[in-house]
Amino acid sequence: MSSLSVIGPGTAIVGGIRGSGDIEIQGRVEGSVVVEGEVVIAETALIKSDVRARRVIVRGAVRGSVSADELLILEAGARVLGDLGAPQVGIRPGGLVRGHVSTAGPLPLEKPKAAPAQAAKAPPARAATPARPATPAARPAPPPARPATPAARPVPPPPPSVERTEPAYVARPAAPAPAPAQAVVHEEPVADEPPPPVVPAMPKGARASSRKRK
Amino acid sequence: MAQTIIGQGLTIEGEITSDDEVTVAGTVRGRLVSEGAVAVDAGAVIEADVRAGALSVAGSVTGNVTATDRVDLLAGGRLVGDVRTARITIQDGASFKGNVDMDV
Repeated sequence: MSSLSVIGPGTAIVGGIRGSGDIEIQGRVEGSVVVEGEVVIAETALIKSDVRARRVIVRGAVRGSVSADELLILEAGARVLGDLGAPQVGIRPGGLVRGHVSTAGPLPLEKPKAAPAQAAKAPPARAATPARPATPAARPAPPPARPATPAARPVPPPPPSVERTEPAYVARPAAPAPAPAQAVVHEEPVADEPPPPVVPAMPKGARASSRKRK
Repeated sequence: MAQTIIGQGLTIEGEITSDDEVTVAGTVRGRLVSEGAVAVDAGAVIEADVRAGALSVAGSVTGNVTATDRVDLLAGGRLVGDVRTARITIQDGASFKGNVDMDV
């Protein structure tokens, strides 16, 4: 009943491949490959995902761990950036691996690892998207947001709140206030257009998210 | 040889993009885009928007379909969704629910 599937050289799949039967991958796959059968990764293939199957034969490029329940062979030309795990592992001359190789059986925690990893990636992305709208919103409506932040920081001198600029300047040197605060205040009197205030607005959420994106 | 076959028992969730001919006998969820012909065999299940050069359906397709050349809905085939194409044939025994938009 095992049916043969072929992902042709001109085909790209972004998402998960799973199921039974044998599959030959000649194209590109990003996502996951979990098959109960034999997976052949051809020379022209480019796979950015973990691969898990009963038998795996690699002749192409894989970025991700490769795990087989039975047999894993890297033929000449195979390039794997990731871990290998199978009861039987064969690496022919010309096969390249950068990762951990185990003949103790299929990589055990692969699925659990993959799931949390994806989950971890997903939340930042979601968080990033709301964060982005927040910052742009801050840009168009700078007057309200900025006054609010400086006011919050120099809380101690509330009485001179009427004169925003002057007390703010005093407060900066007095307090070890970071550069961002100064930049914010300076820009207020001039104009709300320049982007510099964005920098202080971004740091906590945005920097982290940008790093994660990279 | 330059073609893609999604075999019976195989499920793909996500987006498939291809320059080749694509034959689906398994399950596809998400999106299927091909420059060439797409054949949906009997027993196949597609829950996706399909964009293809030509599409022949003997299995089940749920989703909107756009074909630059033609759509052939074969006997036993089932198509639920709107179709936009230049030519369409619906065989006796096929099921179809949706709108057809042809450039007249």
